Amino acid sequence: MGSPPGSVSLDTLKRGLQSGLEVTWQLARILIPVYFIVTFFKHTPILEIVARLFAPLMGIFGLPGEAALVLVLGNFVNLYAAIGAIVSLSLSLKEITVLAIMLSFCHSLPVETALAKKIGLSAVNVIAVRVGLAVLSGIAFNFLL
Amino acid sequence: MLEVLKEAAVGSLLSVKQIAVIVIPIMIAMEFLKDLGVLDRIAGFFSPLVRVFGMRKESGFPLVIGIIIGLSYGAGVIFRTARENRLPRRDLYLITYFLVAAHAVFEDTAIFAALGVSSALLLTTRLLVAAMFTFLASKLMRHELEKEVNL
Repeated sequence: MGSPPGSVSLDTLKRGLQSGLEVTWQLARILIPVYFIVTFFKHTPILEIVARLFAPLMGIFGLPGEAALVLVLGNFVNLYAAIGAIVSLSLSLKEITVLAIMLSFCHSLPVETALAKKIGLSAVNVIAVRVGLAVLSGIAFNFLL
Repeated sequence: MLEVLKEAAVGSLLSVKQIAVIVIPIMIAMEFLKDLGVLDRIAGFFSPLVRVFGMRKESGFPLVIGIIIGLSYGAGVIFRTARENRLPRRDLYLITYFLVAAHAVFEDTAIFAALGVSSALLLTTRLLVAAMFTFLASKLMRHELEKEVNL
């Protein structure tokens, strides 16, 4: 951690602002294109087809079929891509909450699994645990909320 | 077509703004907590709790830092702590299992809170479930992993 403890300066503010803007930029960079693509699909039959295809599976979590898009983007790309899909689809607060809980346990699998592997865990175990926690919490919160 | 483009442009920019006004202050606050040494003190305060998982108390520090700041920064602290304190492999595995389920909790929670999700619900669920899973894993993990490691 940069400076000695107990020393706050203008530099602290600058670094905080920098990391805040960095997160915002990373978010915008991914969210905006995802939003455009999803909005485009909304005006074609494609989203409707995807929604119908995944409706039975997503129904386990009380989610509409198109929410599959959110989970796929969140796990294969990152949380920002998932958020781009959430804000461009019309989902209820309960649906967004269930998705947020599921995604918080399980997201960005390619990057984060690589990190866990570096520390020595098996990739299969890590992915199984994360997907397991996401599925169980999704089912539970669909009932609880 | 023009209508669709306009809808996407306005909608996406508004969403970015909505999230930025929450995330930027949170990131600034985190930087202040770091520089004030509060983060280290929080980590020091909570680290003995890892005894519940049968872990050495030194292992708690990288765990708490990873929970607050994030996985990649946390991994750096894990490697450093493991080198300095010669932590058992079992501790490293348990820290990592906890962290893959719950890391960068304030940043992630802030982003979802901007969309209207209850931050208290998200935060407590994530920490509680990660702790419960780690406890279960600590009971199942073999003792041969007690050996110290050099990373």
